[in-house]
Amino acid sequence: MLEIEHLVTGYGGVPVLQDVSLTLAAGEIVGLLGANNAGKTTLINSLSGVYAPMSGRILFEGADVTALTPRERVELGIVQVPEGRLVFPDMSVRENLLLGGINRRARPGRARQMEHVLELFPRMKERLSQDAGTLSGGEQQMLAIGRALMAEARILMLDEPSLGLSPLFVQYIFGIIDKLHAEGLTILLVEQNLNLTLRHAQRCYVLERGRVAIEGPADAIKNDPRTRSAYLGL
Amino acid sequence: MAEFLQALTQGLLIGSTYGLLALGMGLVYGVSGVVNFAHGDFIALGMFMCLALYSALSLDPYVSIIITVPVMMGIGALVYRYLLRPMVGYKFLMIVQLTLGLSLVLQNGILMVFGGQPARTPSAVESKLWILGEVVMRVPHVIAFVVSFALAIGLYVMLRSTDFGRSIRAVHQNAHAASLMGIDVGRVQVLTFALGIGILAIAAALLLPGTPIQPTMGLRYTVITLLVVVLGGMTNFVGIMLGGLVIGISEAFGTIYLSDILGMLLPYGIFVLIMLFRPQGLTWGAAR
Amino acid sequence: MRPEFYKVLASPVLWGILILAAPLPFLLPSYYLHIVILSLVYVALASSWNIVGGMAGQISLAHSLFIGTGAMLSTALLLKLGINMWVGLLISAAISAMLAAMIAWIDYRFRLGHLSFVLITLAFAEMGGLVVEGWDFLGGASGLLLPRDTGHFLDFQFGGSHGAFWVMLLLAVVCVLVNVAILNAPLGYYLRTIRDNENAARAIGVNVLRYKVAAMVISAVLASIVGTAYVRYLTFADPYLLISPVITIEIVLFATVGGLGSAFGPALGALLLVPLGEILRGQLGGVLPGLHYFIYGIVVIAVILITPQGLLPLFERLWKRRPGAAATRPPTVAP
Repeated sequence: MLEIEHLVTGYGGVPVLQDVSLTLAAGEIVGLLGANNAGKTTLINSLSGVYAPMSGRILFEGADVTALTPRERVELGIVQVPEGRLVFPDMSVRENLLLGGINRRARPGRARQMEHVLELFPRMKERLSQDAGTLSGGEQQMLAIGRALMAEARILMLDEPSLGLSPLFVQYIFGIIDKLHAEGLTILLVEQNLNLTLRHAQRCYVLERGRVAIEGPADAIKNDPRTRSAYLGL
Repeated sequence: MAEFLQALTQGLLIGSTYGLLALGMGLVYGVSGVVNFAHGDFIALGMFMCLALYSALSLDPYVSIIITVPVMMGIGALVYRYLLRPMVGYKFLMIVQLTLGLSLVLQNGILMVFGGQPARTPSAVESKLWILGEVVMRVPHVIAFVVSFALAIGLYVMLRSTDFGRSIRAVHQNAHAASLMGIDVGRVQVLTFALGIGILAIAAALLLPGTPIQPTMGLRYTVITLLVVVLGGMTNFVGIMLGGLVIGISEAFGTIYLSDILGMLLPYGIFVLIMLFRPQGLTWGAAR
Repeated sequence: MRPEFYKVLASPVLWGILILAAPLPFLLPSYYLHIVILSLVYVALASSWNIVGGMAGQISLAHSLFIGTGAMLSTALLLKLGINMWVGLLISAAISAMLAAMIAWIDYRFRLGHLSFVLITLAFAEMGGLVVEGWDFLGGASGLLLPRDTGHFLDFQFGGSHGAFWVMLLLAVVCVLVNVAILNAPLGYYLRTIRDNENAARAIGVNVLRYKVAAMVISAVLASIVGTAYVRYLTFADPYLLISPVITIEIVLFATVGGLGSAFGPALGALLLVPLGEILRGQLGGVLPGLHYFIYGIVVIAVILITPQGLLPLFERLWKRRPGAAATRPPTVAP
């Protein structure tokens, strides 16, 4: 469904991602692992179109989307839940969700999609008119995921969804991720938390200083001695 | 007492339009961080367009806005797209300098076309009065008040309950996150700037009847608008309207109760004091 | 003081320019002499503004307050109280210094941001203009007319445009050299530190208040003195010219076009734009009043869009490329 071919991305002429290739099949849940500064967030933002690549291609369902703007990619259904959640703090939960579905493809079905999201997160239903800035961290993560789903995501990219959450909430959020996977959504999961990701993902890539160091099924990655060293940035 | 009421009314009427002027600036600042020092010159431009339309077609200023609003919005969109957008990412000060340059261009462009003599644009209601008890109100002021508040309320509703309004607020609160929603941030900024300039076109017509206009008047309006925006806390909708009333009322009281010069100084004095002791503006974290 | 300052002071280019310029009043027709004098006035003003606006990175719109104090107050003191204009110059400069210190203190005490500083200084400038317009002692809206310049040096008279030229040349050179001196002195270093990150500067123990006050006061005193000399040359103290924010805006634009924060950038901007503007005004002012301001606006927008650092870096590249380029290059600091 998504293919990244020899992607090189950077800012100010300095490449951060160096020749990254990665594939994502429909309905798959793929983990993207790596230490801090390995380039995980840069990769996600390249997929969202925030950064223009210096070279390489991104294919979505066989079509080249490398040159598309962030808006056009959201309209295709390539949607991310950003690191740190980035909900709109001074808007209500409802307005946040509506903004999630503001793109041209999702707008006509917003009401239906909203119902679906509120079913998934009953907590959001109670908080509909509350400002997003007053929610707890876990609730904000729910809102951020709900907001991305409102865009009628076809590939959901989650950037560090467990960051700063209590263990209980982490469990809850990963339960939701499994549920979405079961519904058939394609998911790219970026995490620092190694064990958690290996438990939920089918395949994983380990990034090390902007390159793919290891890739393979989750079990193989788990037992690969290189994983720990790549992870610790050794 | 009658004098007091008269001053209060006068201040409220004028202050509402100041608030409207400032809303345009506050919106633009909110989505793109641009403080437009040519703001007042756009008002002057709007007024002179009305004058031209009056001279050519004897249109009443209130009618002229049908033409001036879309034209000014177009100019605003072009200015943002080609002059201000390339400055995104540069320091705030570069934008100040650029808009100061723009101010000179507009002011003197007007001067070259219309000459420097003070001019008037008559309106059918210009000299009509509306008397309420002991208070005498000029009808253009009443119209300005009503239209300003109607527009402010309209803007508020637009920001709260339309997709475009929510996009504006989203870009204001977090531009990066907004772009991840599929909002075209650059487009929202261009449209907001155009909207701000369109508001100025309306405000220009509201302020016009009975006011002698000169090409150099823009700077005064820029300063007043800046005072109001800062008083209102830059992007706080209610605060800005309140700021407009404060400046309008202090101007009116100043000219009635104090000597000429002290009266003119009063709004600036209030501004400096509020700036220093309540830099976050008049309201306490209300709407927006 | 770093040795670069003495290098500039001893530079043959500087003295060459001065020696070449000195006889200009005898060579130029009065119209062109007037343009040269105006250019020098703005070289001095833009350079004096640069100390706060460029080096400390704070767009102060209060400069007209100091120019206006120097011009209007010294004139009023002479006409209304009979105080010798040399004394008036000193009194005005002292008052400008006090106003400047007050503004710098407010800036420091209330930790104004960039925008707040622009607005506060603009408010002070507007208030200054209103005070002059409303107070007959300072000439009110109609201004004040100085007695004819008969060349009595002790009465601050320099004998018309010939004398005015030398006075302005001196002031322009002084203002530029003060810029060079500050850039090469500890003050310049501290101002740059404050400009780049005021909080960090405070944290490492830089006496921010002291340097802010110093920059503002030096800038204001220079502006005030130039204001007094300028009004003597003009003979007419026009409040709408001398204490209007418009004069500050012009200065800001000249400095921006030339290159903020460098020692010679603001001077370069004024030397390019003032003659251009004056010639345009002379040729087309009757037909198209305001054309020169219009062109200033266009130039500043173009410069900001094309070379945001100002024109000086371009000129420097040319200068360096000349055969036998030596180390006389002035120290520049990018804004």
